[in-house]
Amino acid sequence: MLDLRVPSGWFFTVLGLILLGMGIFAPETRAALSDANVNLYSGLAMLVFGLFMLLMAWRASRRAS
Amino acid sequence: MKLAPVDYTILAVYFAFVLGIGWMLRKKMSTSGDFLLSGRSVPVWITSLAFIAANLGAQELVGMSASGAKYGIMTAHFYWIGAIPAILFVGIFMMPFYYGSKARSVPEYLKMRYDEKTRTYNAFSFAVMTIFSSGISMYALGKLLQLVLGWDFSVSILVSAAIVLVYTFLGGLTSAIYNEVLQFLLIVAGFSPLAMLAVAKAGGWHGIQTRLGAMTLAGGMSGKVMTHAWTYMGSPHSNPMGVELFGLVAGLGFVLSFGYWCTNFLVVQRAMAADSMNSARRTPLIGAFPKMFLPFIVIVPGIAAVALAKMNVGYSIPLDPNGAPNYNLVITTLMAKFYPAGMLGVGLTGLVASFMSGMAGNVTAFNTVWTYDIYQTYIRRNAPDRHYLNVGRATTVVGVLLSIGAAYVATRYDNIMDLLQLVFGFVNAPLFATFLLGMFWKRGTGHAAFSGLVTGTVAASLTWCLTVAEGKGGILGTVYTFPSAMAQSFWIALVAFTSCFLVTLVVSLATKPRPEKDLEGLVYGLTKIPEDRGSWYQRPAPLAVIIIAILLILNFWFA
Repeated sequence: MLDLRVPSGWFFTVLGLILLGMGIFAPETRAALSDANVNLYSGLAMLVFGLFMLLMAWRASRRAS
Repeated sequence: MKLAPVDYTILAVYFAFVLGIGWMLRKKMSTSGDFLLSGRSVPVWITSLAFIAANLGAQELVGMSASGAKYGIMTAHFYWIGAIPAILFVGIFMMPFYYGSKARSVPEYLKMRYDEKTRTYNAFSFAVMTIFSSGISMYALGKLLQLVLGWDFSVSILVSAAIVLVYTFLGGLTSAIYNEVLQFLLIVAGFSPLAMLAVAKAGGWHGIQTRLGAMTLAGGMSGKVMTHAWTYMGSPHSNPMGVELFGLVAGLGFVLSFGYWCTNFLVVQRAMAADSMNSARRTPLIGAFPKMFLPFIVIVPGIAAVALAKMNVGYSIPLDPNGAPNYNLVITTLMAKFYPAGMLGVGLTGLVASFMSGMAGNVTAFNTVWTYDIYQTYIRRNAPDRHYLNVGRATTVVGVLLSIGAAYVATRYDNIMDLLQLVFGFVNAPLFATFLLGMFWKRGTGHAAFSGLVTGTVAASLTWCLTVAEGKGGILGTVYTFPSAMAQSFWIALVAFTSCFLVTLVVSLATKPRPEKDLEGLVYGLTKIPEDRGSWYQRPAPLAVIIIAILLILNFWFA
């Protein structure tokens, strides 16, 4: 059976990288009512979450084999 | 609102992943059981999140933030008293019968426990209701995207329906469930930053209390009414929802919520797909943990929006063409103000994802009920399994097409949440009485269940026809006027439940009971309840205790 942690891990890793890239290379992209670099922080959080899912999936597959 | 290329990229990445998951699961579909029941092999963390996500459709997200703006933190009752007790009940007390009976659907359980006509009544009403729910949800999304982004109504609903169709067609229930988990995570990722940013901008919870206090005082209610969930429940006139304590606790907390979470195949199907009895029982319980905290990301932004609109920071509640506030646009206008290009893409993709998880939930539940409960019972009984797999596949296409039709029907009604509540009240409310008596009273009979259900639904419709709320109902005259439509729907549910319960009770005693050996595995007292082993987190009871403790803390905190 497909381990769902793999596709969802990759999904959030990709999303995190896109937002992180926006946060770093286009930091002036801000919303009307927020002074924070929203892309940077949420991108970082998604990247960490995505990598964590991938790590868990990798550990599970290593234990299985 | 304008989207940047990066936002479209994120939407495209999401589409690629949901389709990819469907594609990766396509080879596993060799029997009708694989396609329609996931072969009972899904791990518990996945079924738990899917259990919550299938219910978290687009109209739910949009409607709950709108209700947050209208009624304040009281809206959280739909998540706390209006969901958690029922979720605990279905996991602990009902799942042994659902999962243990080997029934493939909720209507099939009714067939095993009662008789064919009770099953048919439930199967047909459920099939119609799922198609309607799915259509209404699609309509809500199409309208919203049209208003906010200027996307064409037909294009957005046809594209999203086509994607749901492809991944459910390829991977059946498993694909729907797996994608629901991805969608749930995306909804949380796309909505929780909004709650944090909006609340921070409004001066924190304290700042919100101050600003809304001044507003409700000016409106003639207590200054704390928007930020307290229980204090103003004494009289329907002292809170904006227009409901009183008994109607809320008995109508919403008992009848409506148990009718939905304990008998609706859409959610129960997720638990029935779990890989063991223990997992099936823990599915609702583990799902209850995120469910309790969802108000903070789906309701709180709506509350913060009202406070922000009082602050002169450049945010105002959107208006409809007649100049009245259009609360359904609160969530998207907040996103436009708080999310930069990039995060805005994630937020909107989360909204699209919520729509897809709701729709896929409806389509897969419809599929199973149609194939096993209607087609296999009435159209072709003893075909090889391969035939039912193909019927299941074909039904996926038909279900999606019917939903699209229902979406166009829904364009003729404006208040979608009310319509949904009405349908739930008529069809679901009596159902819980039937299940309660079926699972816990071995004397209940088929004739009784059927007459009880019919009576309950008729009683519900009659109550609606004879009472008025907010100028609606009262087609046959006005016996009573409710302070709000919500109070009316709670009381309709109560009437439906009570009449169904009494009729089932009386008719059961007047008809011939079924022999006890036919009821083994179906009724309490004649079923071996599995013994729970393992650590505390592997057993339903300790989990339930923790959930109740957190639930109490939340309710006292926001009392």
